[in-house]
Amino acid sequence: MSGYDDIAFDDRMQTVEFRVAERAHIVVDSDVCRSCTTKACVSACPANLFAPTSDGGILFNYEQCFECGTCYQVCNAEGALTWTYPDGGHGVVFRHG
Amino acid sequence: MTDVIVVGAGPAGAAAALMAARDGLEVVLLERGPFPGSKNAYGGVVYGRVLDDVLPRWWEEVPVQRWVTRRSTMVLTDTQALTVDFRTTAWGEAPYNGCTTFRADFDGWLAGKAVEAGAHLVVNTVATGLIVEGNRVVGVRTDRQDGDLRAPLVIAADGVNSFLAKEAGLLPRTQAKHLTLGVKEVLSLPREVIDERFGVRGDEGVDVELLGCTRGIPGGGFVYTNRDSLSVGVVVSLEHLAASKVRPEELIADLKAHPAIAPWVEGAELKEYTAHLIPEGGYDHLTPLSTAGMLVTGDAAGLCLAAGLWLEGVNFAIGSGLAAGRTARRIIETGDAKPYRAALKDSFVLKDHKRLRGAPRLVLSERVQQRYPGLVADLVEGLFTVGNPTAKPGALRLLRGAAKNNGVKLRHLVADGLAGGRVFK
Amino acid sequence: MADLVVVLARCTDLRVEVDPLTGAISRDPRAAAFSASDAAAVEHGLRLGSAWGARTLVLTAGGPECDARLREVLSLGAEVRRVPVRGSYVEELATDERALAKALVAAIGGRPDLVVCADRSSDRGTGALPAFVAHELGVVQAPGLVSLELVGDDLMGERRLDYGRRERMRIPLPAVCSVEGAGVRLRRASLPASLAAASAVVPVAEVPLPGPAVRVLGARASRPRPRHLPAPTGSSRERLLALTGALLSHEPPTVVGPVDAPEAADALLDFLARNGYLSEARTGWALS
Repeated sequence: MSGYDDIAFDDRMQTVEFRVAERAHIVVDSDVCRSCTTKACVSACPANLFAPTSDGGILFNYEQCFECGTCYQVCNAEGALTWTYPDGGHGVVFRHG
Repeated sequence: MTDVIVVGAGPAGAAAALMAARDGLEVVLLERGPFPGSKNAYGGVVYGRVLDDVLPRWWEEVPVQRWVTRRSTMVLTDTQALTVDFRTTAWGEAPYNGCTTFRADFDGWLAGKAVEAGAHLVVNTVATGLIVEGNRVVGVRTDRQDGDLRAPLVIAADGVNSFLAKEAGLLPRTQAKHLTLGVKEVLSLPREVIDERFGVRGDEGVDVELLGCTRGIPGGGFVYTNRDSLSVGVVVSLEHLAASKVRPEELIADLKAHPAIAPWVEGAELKEYTAHLIPEGGYDHLTPLSTAGMLVTGDAAGLCLAAGLWLEGVNFAIGSGLAAGRTARRIIETGDAKPYRAALKDSFVLKDHKRLRGAPRLVLSERVQQRYPGLVADLVEGLFTVGNPTAKPGALRLLRGAAKNNGVKLRHLVADGLAGGRVFK
Repeated sequence: MADLVVVLARCTDLRVEVDPLTGAISRDPRAAAFSASDAAAVEHGLRLGSAWGARTLVLTAGGPECDARLREVLSLGAEVRRVPVRGSYVEELATDERALAKALVAAIGGRPDLVVCADRSSDRGTGALPAFVAHELGVVQAPGLVSLELVGDDLMGERRLDYGRRERMRIPLPAVCSVEGAGVRLRRASLPASLAAASAVVPVAEVPLPGPAVRVLGARASRPRPRHLPAPTGSSRERLLALTGALLSHEPPTVVGPVDAPEAADALLDFLARNGYLSEARTGWALS
């Protein structure tokens, strides 16, 4: 199927509240990512937080994270992705979860 | 002096805190979000009967969206849909069966019961690790200043990613094989429109489970009715999703564009988009339920039943939480977690999981996911297509043709039928 | 030196939900929180209070949904009090801000040396409350501060000016200061303090409640009527040209500046006059 008349991804994310913490709870070591051939985090992350860079690394965001854990679960390179819960009271706030 | 630390104020944690506090124990209930339920997401139906003997007449106060009185299982191909639809008025009156609700509402309500019973709820606080002495868990560290908290018993109700169970060595760091990803859209629609489109009235609701709508990625979909919104989403195998390179929201878009679903969601506006992992390994991949000084409950223990016809999680979380809370005093006195494991074994929590232990593998198998939806849809289409002047073909011929078109051998059909019989007996 | 520092902090759902279909507005009481600037105000109040060894009182006008946040403030060592205000979002919009300032000042129940407010409230943002409070107390006001700190014995504030310049000022006490949500984050309480405050009762001030300033007859979503534009006619080329405006002459964008203030004023007035917003006579008067 092609050609969705669905809303833009940014608008989709606008429907969710995020209380952004100062500390990034996701950290990606791009040096490890350069040797990764699958880069599964890029397509699997439901919040689309990971973007491949031209030099083979991964650019990551943590601000609009659902805290689901998909990224570190599908990451196949040991030590590439560090993931913790954001500091207490921060991060996603679902109202209709 | 704290007797029990419960980590996570979801259904498992709130139920554990409720029972332990009722038993006269000093309970601290930690929650990392600003309010219980704020980090939680699920499909949409809670089966509340597990609360019957804990909160009598719970149905009079539970924050319900709609009572499910109609349940459909729908098999989809790109152009076809076959539905088995059941409705009963019995589910629309006390003691009810399942209800749609939002987790911020439901979890908050249950945690409120624990607080009424005397548990101390501390929100905005992450349990960052365990305090271990010898081989025994004696408390948790939190991300607050002076954040170490000690107690003779820790109950880990910290969800599918349970870092406490991981630290205790009970759960591997990653296990994409046994996880599914659920993504959901809550779509705003006027109440009367929902009533009309789904053929319900008042607080009656519909639960629709879907198979064969996920581009061949093992999983399924759902449509649930809330008061003035629909919950529409898909649940897919994490491992296969990652391999397929398909973006999760595209699967929802597919679903919403399907000719059988599109008329339901027409004109609806997105209210919230959510995502969450689900442990679907079943009985054979449960987390060990305890270690010295710590019990594991709910999603953290992998207690989520995703067995085709049954998709349940919150009731198992509550069931395991209640068992942990009830046995907490005895476990503290004896230092042995046996009573908790025994209580689970004697209750529906482990009985249902054990009975349906083969279901996850069968339901997520390649044939059930990719071939059988097309097979049954083709068979039914053949049965009901009136192709005059050609005479009606026999059912067996249709079955053979449908099986062949969908790449299924009849002996596979027989084998899977027998396997299904064994799993669901 | 000071004895009493008061923080007026607003606590409300920061993401008011607007039903995408009906336009109905609803607030989620569970999601009540301080905005960034309200949180900064509380943090400034706590810092200054402890520097002076003064009492810090955090005062919120709102319903019981604010109590959870106020308990957190309580666990940070401040006193808290709530002025009960109830009502829908629309009723709150119609609240008489001056009467609200009166009620808040009455609820303080003493003469504060310093009042810290958020620069603007999170969801309706007139920013008028600090001025009304200063008026009620009869003290000076310093709005729009990005920093507020003690230097020696002096209370120093800083705010942004145009051209990236900053203004530093010494603020005489007593004063009302309003701060932007910048530079500081509200601290988090320790676990023992959070546990101790978890079931504390937030005192409610007994003051006359402010009534509405305007009578709201109804509220509905704004649905401007679409302007009807006739479809272009003619050959397909003419219609295409009409739709794209490809051959029309356009005024190139005007580049103004960098210029100094009088030149900028001239340029603005020129523009207004050229486009018919000002008559020549009026321009002459304005410039004289």
